[in-house]
Amino acid sequence: MFDRDIWQEIFNTIKTNKLRTFLTGFSVGWAIFILVMLLASVNGMQNGFYNQFNDDATNSIFVRPGVTSKAYGGFEAGRRIQLKNDDVEYIKKSFPEDVEYISARYYANAAARYKSETGSYQIQATSPDHQAIEKTLVVAGRYVNEADIVNKAKVAVIGRKVAEDLFKDEDALGKFVELNNLPFRVIGIFTDDGDDNAERRIYAPISTYQRIYGNTNDVNMIALTYNPTYDISTALEFSDRLEVLLKRRHRIDPDDQAGLYIFNYAQAFDDISSFTAVLNGIGIGVAFLILIAGIVGIGNIMVFTIKERTKEIGVRKALGARPNQIINLVLLESVFITTLSGFVGLLFAWMILAAIGPTIQSPAFSNPSVDASTVITATIILIIAGVLAGWIPAMKAANVKPIVALSDK
Amino acid sequence: MIEIKDLHKSYKMGSNSLHVLKGINFNIEDGELVAIMGSSGSGKSTLLNILGMLDGADSGEYTLDGVPIKNLSETKAALYRNKFLGFVFQSFNLINYKSALENVALPLYYQKVPRKERQEKAMQYLDKVGLKPWAHHLPSELSGGQKQRVAIARAMAAEPKVLLADEPTGALDSKTSYEVMALIQKINDEGNTILVVTHEEDIAHMCKRIVHLKDGVIVEDKKIEQVRAEQYV
Repeated sequence: MFDRDIWQEIFNTIKTNKLRTFLTGFSVGWAIFILVMLLASVNGMQNGFYNQFNDDATNSIFVRPGVTSKAYGGFEAGRRIQLKNDDVEYIKKSFPEDVEYISARYYANAAARYKSETGSYQIQATSPDHQAIEKTLVVAGRYVNEADIVNKAKVAVIGRKVAEDLFKDEDALGKFVELNNLPFRVIGIFTDDGDDNAERRIYAPISTYQRIYGNTNDVNMIALTYNPTYDISTALEFSDRLEVLLKRRHRIDPDDQAGLYIFNYAQAFDDISSFTAVLNGIGIGVAFLILIAGIVGIGNIMVFTIKERTKEIGVRKALGARPNQIINLVLLESVFITTLSGFVGLLFAWMILAAIGPTIQSPAFSNPSVDASTVITATIILIIAGVLAGWIPAMKAANVKPIVALSDK
Repeated sequence: MIEIKDLHKSYKMGSNSLHVLKGINFNIEDGELVAIMGSSGSGKSTLLNILGMLDGADSGEYTLDGVPIKNLSETKAALYRNKFLGFVFQSFNLINYKSALENVALPLYYQKVPRKERQEKAMQYLDKVGLKPWAHHLPSELSGGQKQRVAIARAMAAEPKVLLADEPTGALDSKTSYEVMALIQKINDEGNTILVVTHEEDIAHMCKRIVHLKDGVIVEDKKIEQVRAEQYV
């Protein structure tokens, strides 16, 4: 196969039929180009969807209380459910295997002031685990830690925008910012990939805020991440178990959709995955249909060249070429043309994607690209296509009777 | 070297059957130079095809160097052709995109001789036909006589038992024809068995034996005094 003579012959046939080879190769290259572009577009959509959730850990589950819509366990409908610190402990104890990080959230709004600069920001009072759940990136100082929780320390981790607004050019770390007239020491500054609004947030220890707002145990919501080794179905199964248990604990009808909201990212990813899988399927299907046209084209031209080379093949057979050697020659030529033109199509698609891909940044579409598995799949498809295209011509060539080489009178 | 007994061959032409060879018997000894003559339709080409294993006989025996040639698969036929036979064609049938050297090396390629050895051997045979300086020329850059000499070198390169030449001078003018015949005689002088199909009297007389075919049977088979071709060159 890696024989200089075979390649010399292949190159010669290509050289003598330049235009025809190009035209037929083009159809295969075009098919692969379309295949890659379609797959990359689907990939871009997928990236777009995922980016919507990008600022949170992808294995997050959020539990939010609601208002019951059904009477249950002796309670009337319309009861407001309140989550408490105990619920966090309860979940931790009930699902030690499933829960990776867990943190309650307590929301408050604060009028913040530093010297003469003021602003209104959302406070999220949390525990240390929250950093991992929200993927908060602390660029200076540190996040809320256990000691802060125990001491109910008045400390704050402020967003980059908050620091810019209030502290201007000053280094905010260690300074005191007044939140609703209470001084909080700035212990950290964070950034967030999500958007600018996320950086207009302030984190504080949850225990501190629960004491400020009337010594309460109430929490507004519970955020947790599940065991990262779980696949989507295990994750969904876990959030179902969680829902059953919490509804029982708060005496909510198991069928009541309004009493408790559990939002599992796995569910969203599951939906997106099945959606993009369908799009992928359509893309591959369309590209395959185009590829078939390419295969027929190459088969066609090879039949033609074999016809032209009948005499030469006859001479080769008279000189002792075995039918297998002739078949190999034709198949290799076919595979070579399909693979080469396919790769040219792939290369073009890749260059276009590399050039314009990063510039496309819309919420629903981002960074369309192809991965190695697409390239490998395309290569395998091309080789199979080449064999298919060369099969009939190869058989035709193998059946050439050497007698034709002699009957030249 | 070649033994043929009661060889028959007929072709189907629609509903008719054309009986081309009607019982051919002859032997060729090692080192002979035989001319097969006959007008067109006499069956000489069919006989050559059968001798060349390009076609099978309907009945009869064909033994080549002690090996019975019968019911060959395509692959086996290719192997035997490669091992036993060298072909020289009227229209040379060189592969036009390969240099003279590569053309000569082609049967060696099918014998799976390593590339380097192949090239050396091919060069040796090109030298023998006096075309060493043209080794890297394409067939289109050679004259008719030169092309046929390359073809003869190609046929000889595989060191066949028998050289089959089908009208080797048919496409050449008389001067180059004699040159080619001189080469064939020289190869024969070295002990090679050669069969020449021709319809030209003067070419036939440069062989050592003439087998005359007519309507599918041998009408005459005689040894002759060989006319040396060099004297005309």
